[in-house]
This record gives sequence, C-alpha cells and structure tokens, in this order.
Amino acid sequence: MPSAVSPMPSALVDERTVAYILESQPLFEDLRQVAAQIAGLLVLAATGSRDASPDHPMLGTAERLFTETLERFGRTQASERARLHHESLRQAAESLRHALAGARAILASPHGANFDAALVPLRDSYSHLQQATGALPGFRMVAFEQGCCAGGRAVSSSGSLATS
Amino acid sequence: MNRYSLWVMEYAYVVNQPTSLFIYGAHNQGHRKMPYGYIVIKGPDVVATIDVGYNHREYGEVLANSYGVENWQPARAVLSEIGVTPEDVTRIFITHAHFDHMGALDQYPNATFYIQERELTKWVWSMSLERRFRWLMLGIDPADIMKAVDLARQGRLVCVDGDRTDVLPGIDLHAAFDTHTWGSQYVRVRNDLSPNSQNAWVFSGDLVYAHENLRGTDPGDPQYVPVGLATGSQFSLIMTSEEMTKRAGGDYTHVIPVHEERLRDLFPYRITKAGLRITELALADGEKSRVR
Repeated sequence: MPSAVSPMPSALVDERTVAYILESQPLFEDLRQVAAQIAGLLVLAATGSRDASPDHPMLGTAERLFTETLERFGRTQASERARLHHESLRQAAESLRHALAGARAILASPHGANFDAALVPLRDSYSHLQQATGALPGFRMVAFEQGCCAGGRAVSSSGSLATS
Repeated sequence: MNRYSLWVMEYAYVVNQPTSLFIYGAHNQGHRKMPYGYIVIKGPDVVATIDVGYNHREYGEVLANSYGVENWQPARAVLSEIGVTPEDVTRIFITHAHFDHMGALDQYPNATFYIQERELTKWVWSMSLERRFRWLMLGIDPADIMKAVDLARQGRLVCVDGDRTDVLPGIDLHAAFDTHTWGSQYVRVRNDLSPNSQNAWVFSGDLVYAHENLRGTDPGDPQYVPVGLATGSQFSLIMTSEEMTKRAGGDYTHVIPVHEERLRDLFPYRITKAGLRITELALADGEKSRVR
C-alpha cells in the first residue's frame, strides 16, 4: 500500500476500496481547500478588510475548484466499504455549494451581512469532511507537517505523510 | 517590582523530537523532549495568555498516534494549577497561526485575541494558490479560520499591523515578519513598566525553539542558529533573535521559548499530578508561588 494511505491493516481494506481511496484523496483535499478558501474570505469580510469583495480572486478560484471537484467526484465509484465515506463527501459538497453562494452574497455587502448564511453550511461541510476522515484511512483535516509536532515525519510526493 | 506574574504552562509534550527541528541543520544529532505550552500573564486587573494550544477533541488522536504527542490536558485543567479559569482570561496574544498555538480559540469565551494582520492575510492568500503550493498551508486548520470569523464578528479579533506598545500596561507586541511564519509576532513584558525596562521578558513563540537558537552550541563562542522550520527566511529569524535578545536586556535567559524543556534548569518549577510542568518566571507583588 502506498505511503499516502495512513497506517491501517491493509487486510481491512479491499482493492476496490484502496482504488477509491487513492482516487478520492485529492477530491477530499480540494473540498477541504474550498472550505478553507470560503472561511478565509469570510475572515476578510468580518475583519472589515478592503479586499473583501465579490471581485476577490479567491472567490473565483474557490468556485472553479468546487465545480471541477464536483465533476471528478461524479466519476468516482465507491466500494461497499467506502459508501459512508462517499456519502460524507457528497454531503460536504452540497453544504459547500450553499456556503459559496452565501459567501458571494456577504462579500457583495459585508456591512450588516448575515454571516450565518455562509458559516452554517460551511460548518456543516467541515463536519461532513471530518466524518469522512473517520470512515476510511488516508484522510486528514489538517496537514500537520508544518506544526511543531512533525519533526519525525517527511512529506511524500503526494503531500501525505511518510515516516522519515 | 513586578507588575505581572509570569508562568509557562505545559499542556502536552513529545518525548522524542528530532534535534534538527529545533536547530537548523542539526541532522543526525538525536532527539529531545519538546514541551507544548503557553504563557500566562497575571496582573492586578487582568489575566492574559500568549497562545492557547490546540483542541484535543478535534485532532488529538491523530497527534497522539502519528506524532507521539502525549499527555494533552485541557486549558481548564492546566490553568487551574495556578488558580485561573479560561473565563478569567481577557486578552490573548497569538504569536502565529499554527494549530498548536491557536487551535483552542473557542475555549476562552471572554478573551479578545491579538494577531498580526499579515499573518491572517498571507494565510488567506496562501489558500488561493494552486495545489502545488500547498506546503504553504500546512499546519493550518480550516476550523481555526471559522473560529476566527466568529471572533471577528463578535469584535474579539484585533488585527495588529506591526509593533504595538502598551497593548496592556508594560506589554508590547513586536512584529517578526517573514520568519517562522509570514506574520509572526513576539511579546515583550516590561515588568517594571519602564520604557527602558531593566526587568524585561520576551516571549518568542516559535521564533526560538531552544536556547541553542540564541547561543549556538559553543558557550565560549555564541552565535545565533535559526530554528529548523520556517516559512520565511533564516536571515529574518537570525536578525529577529538579535532584536529579541536586546529587548530582553541582552539576557538570553529572558527570551522564553515554550518548546525549551531546559527552562527547568533556569527557573523554579513543579510537575503537576497530570505530569506537566509549570515554570514560574516572575511573581507579581503579593502573588503567591504556584510551584513551591
């Protein structure tokens, strides 16, 4: 099993599931990235930054990444073992769709905006992504390599962890 | 005269951290313990902290299993050892945005948080980059960003642009851009309140991990050696080390890295029942020792 998959006895994961994991890892990371981008835009809006506007390039980046990720997600085939994970990603994506729409509205009019229109679905998406991390090995909400705890680890070519 | 009591509160630790993380280029030089901690500043009318640690509920299991982080304890338990609750804390100075320093933002309901604006904006900017730049986002948790949104909406997130003097009486924030992170800051406590303090402490965040970063390994020929992990430059880290040491009155022992286990060799301490260290740096007039 590649180092990109976190340590779980490989006997517990069948070949179709391994293929699903490898296919869906970048999708998971992209959904997580979209969530982070939306949250970042909301921080700008909430702190009154001059950069907070619908023209902010990151909003377009997030929307494009979301659309591309959805297309790729539509082509994934989940094994029985991966069904819960797949459903978590689907729900995360659905919540992100609402969060993106909410963020666009907030950026258009930050003063007095209803931040919950974006924050509530954003939290939902995060929660679904967290559920996904528990459903299969190889998925993490935070890349800890940059933290102080990571000295004993190296980054593999996939960006996942491999022991040094 | 001390205006503030100052404690280093350990909240978790890694027993075997490679020395090369602490000291740039120290490869194949073994391992050492790395405490995780935050600082408590207690004055006559205020309790403040420098950083807040992380939230075990969210990623404690991953940290424990994959990285050997041991013995995490929640803020309420850690702070109770010095008679403080999270609700007592009204000011928090975030040195930088890594999860192990600001992951527990939501545990302090009455606090206002101070962070460098550059740390936030570069953090957001890094999210807009393409996937091949993702190293720049490592260590950052989207959940922390959501917490920051909530704080900002409540008016409890103060974005600081550069240095700020007397954010509390005798307490200054100093920007350290493009060092460990883009918008790191360190905190200086002038415990005699004097502008030309003879009783100054500098809390370095992760600009310094260990005393070797300030002294090198040869006591007879000291030098600055940067930490082994930086988004910015080693040059900036070295120049900031000089700045911090000067602001600590030239005394490197008054530059406090929370990840330095050997603070125990310099200051009074005790080990709690939970097995964590409390290091007592200073006691305000009238405050009783929490380690004796």
